[in-house]
Amino acid sequence: MASSAAYPDADENLEAIISRIEQKSRKIETLLKQSKPVEALKTALEGSPLKTRDERCKSANWIVVHRAMMAIRDVDGMFNSLDPEYYDILMKYLYRGLSTGDRPTCDQCLKIHEKLTEKAGLGCILRSLADTVNTV
Amino acid sequence: MAATAAVAIHQFAECITCHAWSPDQSMIAFCPNNNEVHIYKLFTDKWEKLHVLAKHDQIVSGIDWSRSSNKIVTVSHDRNSYVWTQEGSDWVPTLVILKLNRAALCVQWSPKENKFAVGSGAKSVCICYYEQENNWWISKVIRKRHESSVTSLAWHPNNIYLATTSTDGKCRVFSTFIKGVDTRGSQSSTATDSKFGEQIAQLDLSSTWAFGVRWSASGKTLAYAGHNSMIYFVDEVELAPAAQNLALRDLPLRDVLFVSESVAIGVGFDCNPMIFAADDTGLWSFVRFLDERKATPSTSKASQLSEALGKLYGQSKGTSSDTVEPSKPRGGAHENCITCIVPLTKGRDGTIKRFSTSGLDGKIVVWDLENHITMAK
Repeated sequence: MASSAAYPDADENLEAIISRIEQKSRKIETLLKQSKPVEALKTALEGSPLKTRDERCKSANWIVVHRAMMAIRDVDGMFNSLDPEYYDILMKYLYRGLSTGDRPTCDQCLKIHEKLTEKAGLGCILRSLADTVNTV
Repeated sequence: MAATAAVAIHQFAECITCHAWSPDQSMIAFCPNNNEVHIYKLFTDKWEKLHVLAKHDQIVSGIDWSRSSNKIVTVSHDRNSYVWTQEGSDWVPTLVILKLNRAALCVQWSPKENKFAVGSGAKSVCICYYEQENNWWISKVIRKRHESSVTSLAWHPNNIYLATTSTDGKCRVFSTFIKGVDTRGSQSSTATDSKFGEQIAQLDLSSTWAFGVRWSASGKTLAYAGHNSMIYFVDEVELAPAAQNLALRDLPLRDVLFVSESVAIGVGFDCNPMIFAADDTGLWSFVRFLDERKATPSTSKASQLSEALGKLYGQSKGTSSDTVEPSKPRGGAHENCITCIVPLTKGRDGTIKRFSTSGLDGKIVVWDLENHITMAK
């Protein structure tokens, strides 16, 4: 499993990042209305601002990922269509979700975490803990 | 039905930091997690303790035993290094002044055994060579570049290039050319033209601690492990580094060994050697674990983990028992993290047929690869 380098530059303009997240948000709402929660989650995870240090951008993206994540009902089915390249970044957002302490969010995150760990292994958890450069 | 790959398992101590074999492989030297080095010899069927080298004041973090010159070099957290020479039935130590103000962490004899390198917590690497006139070892320090402790070292077959890994996450290659020790021969001119301490390459692939750097036998490929459960294979480091980042499914590795140009073994926190192989196009991938384990227990690691997390966040699963069981013994050769892998015997085709591993469980295990790996090249 080679690492993918699909994440935008750290130098990218913060305003550009925020507007891209807003665009994503609209696309996700559409996908959710069409009952495509897995597509929505993929869209939310793609192009996440991992390298920037700006908290606003990270929070904005988290809100979008959270929206898509909470809409997932069939976790097992989700993994049938989620490509492995999303595993590492999904794990990072799961831990962000668990850190909120919010009951429904944590319930959902735990459900997904169990299946993701089965699919991706402990290495995925290690990478979400150890990576201090690409953070969510 | 293939026999298990672990041909010999010896419980020598409660915990072993590092080990090395004598040139004829009849003796083994290791540090049982204290300030001593124990040398055991195999007498027919039993291992007997033959010598105790006790000169260091703190944990011995590195041991290397040279094949031709039969010298043992040890380094310790006490910032010292000793070169031990066998005189009769005794091992006589020679102190090597490293001028370190932090612990020494790893040591390796160079291929020609005329130099040895020491990695330290002082963010430096000491290259030591023997000065005949004064009958002592001199240390030349590479102080620049490293931003944190140097965790492992590997010599390139040309006896000049040295690769290092550090807790700053980077893998670097330096030249250790020393006038009077290395000769500017007719071979690889770039290496012999380089200056001592010159950085040849820096690989910034892991944002986490890096360990276990190793060159393949030809020096064409370099491999090292990242603490983020990754292993990196890099070709042509000197000219145009082409790196492959392999994400591991499981726990991180601590040491790596090239068995051939296209097969490598990684050892670490899974307590089970991992086999990696490169296909004809040079693409590396994980093949399988070397050790056969008993069938996984009824509760998988993943559901144990989320059950524990569930209790933490107040969610009750209600399915299994109230208590979360600790992970069951895995039933393999090693029971704790493997920290050191050492090559033993080479086949006629130049590939390594046997190697040994030591770990925090105090065991030294000898593995045989015959019938377990089909070597293409």
